[in-house]
Amino acid sequence: MIRTVAGAVLLVAVLACAPLPLSDFWIFVLVQMMDYALYAVAFNLLLGYGGMLAFGFATFFGLGAYTLGILQVRLGFDVVPAVLAAPLVASLFAAVIGYFCVRLSGIYFGMLTFAFQMLAYAVFIKSYDLAGGDDGLHGLVVPGIVGTPRGIYYVSLAIVALCLWVLARIGSSPFGLALRAQRSNVNKSLAIGINVKLEKWLAFVIASFFAGVSGALSGLATQSVFPDWLDWRASAVPIVMAILGGTQRFIGPVIGACVYVVLQTVITGMTEYWSMIMGVLIIGIVVLMPNGIVGFFRLRHE
Amino acid sequence: MSDYALRVRGLYKHFAGVQAADDVNLAVKPGEFRAIIGPNGAGKSTLFNMISGFLKPDRGQVFFADEDITGQPPYRLFRIGISRTFQITNIFGDLSVLENVQSAVLSKNRRSLAIFAQSRGAYIDECRALLHLVGLPDLERRSAAELSHGDQKRLELAVALANKPRLLLLDEPTAGMAPQERIASIRLVHQIARQLGITVIFTEHDMQVVFAVADIISVLHQGKVLVEGKPERIRDDPDVQKIYLGEQGGIAAAAARAEKKTATVA
Repeated sequence: MIRTVAGAVLLVAVLACAPLPLSDFWIFVLVQMMDYALYAVAFNLLLGYGGMLAFGFATFFGLGAYTLGILQVRLGFDVVPAVLAAPLVASLFAAVIGYFCVRLSGIYFGMLTFAFQMLAYAVFIKSYDLAGGDDGLHGLVVPGIVGTPRGIYYVSLAIVALCLWVLARIGSSPFGLALRAQRSNVNKSLAIGINVKLEKWLAFVIASFFAGVSGALSGLATQSVFPDWLDWRASAVPIVMAILGGTQRFIGPVIGACVYVVLQTVITGMTEYWSMIMGVLIIGIVVLMPNGIVGFFRLRHE
Repeated sequence: MSDYALRVRGLYKHFAGVQAADDVNLAVKPGEFRAIIGPNGAGKSTLFNMISGFLKPDRGQVFFADEDITGQPPYRLFRIGISRTFQITNIFGDLSVLENVQSAVLSKNRRSLAIFAQSRGAYIDECRALLHLVGLPDLERRSAAELSHGDQKRLELAVALANKPRLLLLDEPTAGMAPQERIASIRLVHQIARQLGITVIFTEHDMQVVFAVADIISVLHQGKVLVEGKPERIRDDPDVQKIYLGEQGGIAAAAARAEKKTATVA
């Protein structure tokens, strides 16, 4: 316990000082790591705790980003209410979409979430007036000191830290236990009085809420919203990060997100074939570490 | 107030070409230890699944005391005091022993959707008491998948008792056990059920187990209750003997073995 607290304090101290020696580019990379870490942890509430592989989870990341973008760029709202609205809109849609999706399981659940992602993609890419079509939305105005790279960094750090703390608490709550129980054994869960569909639905809504936060933060960091974030290729991002890091520990997807962002940044700088090299690396890691990076080191440790 | 803990009236269930339940009637008194026996395919599991809400009957009704519970989902039945176990040992293999019991106790207390509380240490005394009751006091931190088969059965029982059930349904409670463990295992259940005043209905293939503890035996055959009565009556029934001819030297032999064992234990 004391070690955990000491570790957390040290980590916060390092993260608080990190931007001082870094260039704007590397600060942006750190921000992306944090945003993606939140995205991956939210996703893992479904995959790791709930056993639900949501292929279309990018829907809620995209909805968060577009909510911020549309409210700020198109409708002229301030950034703060626009950011606050993002997770609410994402989870509101998740409440409706989830109602249908949790009735299915396994691959069917995954494909239905994916269908909703394609639907959202089609809506945004076709609506130029509202969402900028295939250009997306650009020129988000973040006023004052918060609008600088360092400002965005500290805002993201504070929000991501708070969200991860909340997600960790949810993971170890009675709800988190029931979610893991139904993943382990559905019939047994029903037999002990757990309303499995309701558990899965709530997990879906909560995870989407935090994906919405993460999408909005990504919009802040790039001062843009890209339709690519809802493209079918975007579905793979949270899956890869969670599996890379390991789904059976809370910290796994955080590690996975950091590794993913570093690899992407470094390899993109080296070659235009970065996605090919990335693919090979990921295959290598998954084959060598079937329980993810965290699972691999835990096993070696034990 | 009904005189019965459970009443089943005119249950029918049809599967592709098979009448798995064909006008099944049962009436089980509070505190009774009722065995449901019958050859493979007699409809025992179907009946069990209909009582416990995992299958909807085509026709007929199930009453729990005075309440019509026909077609209610399993999780609701658990909340009103009906618990069941499964033929194949059914635990949460990915959870620790303590978490297995905690899941059930939290669920009984309607806490399974609580996102702001912490599960660690929740209802810990109640959970430990349950583990103690079934004889698993020192294993709470172990992963449930690592337990021996016998201990997994005990854990399953602890979980089933977590809602303080008035009715406990056990589907082949001794399946997969070594013959010498079986009697001891069912006696543990029997003793706990007596102690807590729980009505028990169980299906069982092993006749020694049945005759060791059952108050009343219902014999199911081709989806119907063929006969019903005290163990002695069932043992001597010519129809039952006909169905069981050849199985472990016939039902009478099994009954005799069970009585002998009971005598030695006593």
